[in-house]
Amino acid sequence: MSENDMLNDIKDANLNYLMLAQQMIRADKATAIFRLGINKDIADLIEGLSNLQLLKLSSSNMMLARFRFEDSAILNMLTSYTKDRALAHAHAAILMSGQDSEVIV
Amino acid sequence: MEMTVQKKSVVNEAEQIQLAMQMIKLGARLQLLEAQTTLSRERLIKLYKELKGISPPKGMLPFSTDWFLTWQPNIHSSIFLNIYNYLVEHADVKGITAIIKAYTLYLQQIEHDSEDEPTLSMTRAWTLVRFVESKMLKMHTCSCCGGRFVVNSYDLNSAYRCNLCHVPSRAGKTKKAKELAYNVVAMTA
Repeated sequence: MSENDMLNDIKDANLNYLMLAQQMIRADKATAIFRLGINKDIADLIEGLSNLQLLKLSSSNMMLARFRFEDSAILNMLTSYTKDRALAHAHAAILMSGQDSEVIV
Repeated sequence: MEMTVQKKSVVNEAEQIQLAMQMIKLGARLQLLEAQTTLSRERLIKLYKELKGISPPKGMLPFSTDWFLTWQPNIHSSIFLNIYNYLVEHADVKGITAIIKAYTLYLQQIEHDSEDEPTLSMTRAWTLVRFVESKMLKMHTCSCCGGRFVVNSYDLNSAYRCNLCHVPSRAGKTKKAKELAYNVVAMTA
């Protein structure tokens, strides 16, 4: 994959993410806020973006969405679950929903 | 979860019926419907029969906090309560709406298929929220993974380790789990 392809893919992922997020928020805001791990202010903002704004925002060379696990110890534990996939899933769900949402400061 | 006294209006009644239907579909018991809607008992029973094809089950609701502390129920209760708290804190919803939304999300999280009963029923989820509101149960942070889990308010919880970081040796080894494991082996073989 060339550098250029990669940058294009990032823009693609950004646009996909924003469009999906907007759809989710418009369908059911409360549920979307949980699934996306954002707070209400950001949800309101994304909801109100026009197509042009969406496109402008997504055409960046950097990923807009970022990784939800910031603690390496937790991530390590979750990926090295050997016993039961369902348990790993349950544990991840608890840890993710226990985290604070991203906030606009 | 306060219910304001509202004037009788057709729109309001339609909303109440919608709410009751949503709860019945999620498996709520009659007591829960009575507590959360303004509809009469007779109407609720009629609605229940129409949707489920059977009369609502009789008898008291489960009232013990112990159930929420046993191994698998504790994990499921913790998933639900974490989602519920997140919604209340960040999504500006409350009361029964928050419970319904959180419960729907919980079902999706555990990848529940409609064939068998989910571990945590809608009625139990509602009971759990009431137990937490009345401070009989609370959330406590696991000293190992930092996740928040349901614990008894009156237990000593210093250096608490959750049921997932510290799995009891016999946990989950039920007859059903064994059968499931066999099926998986058979499928992959």
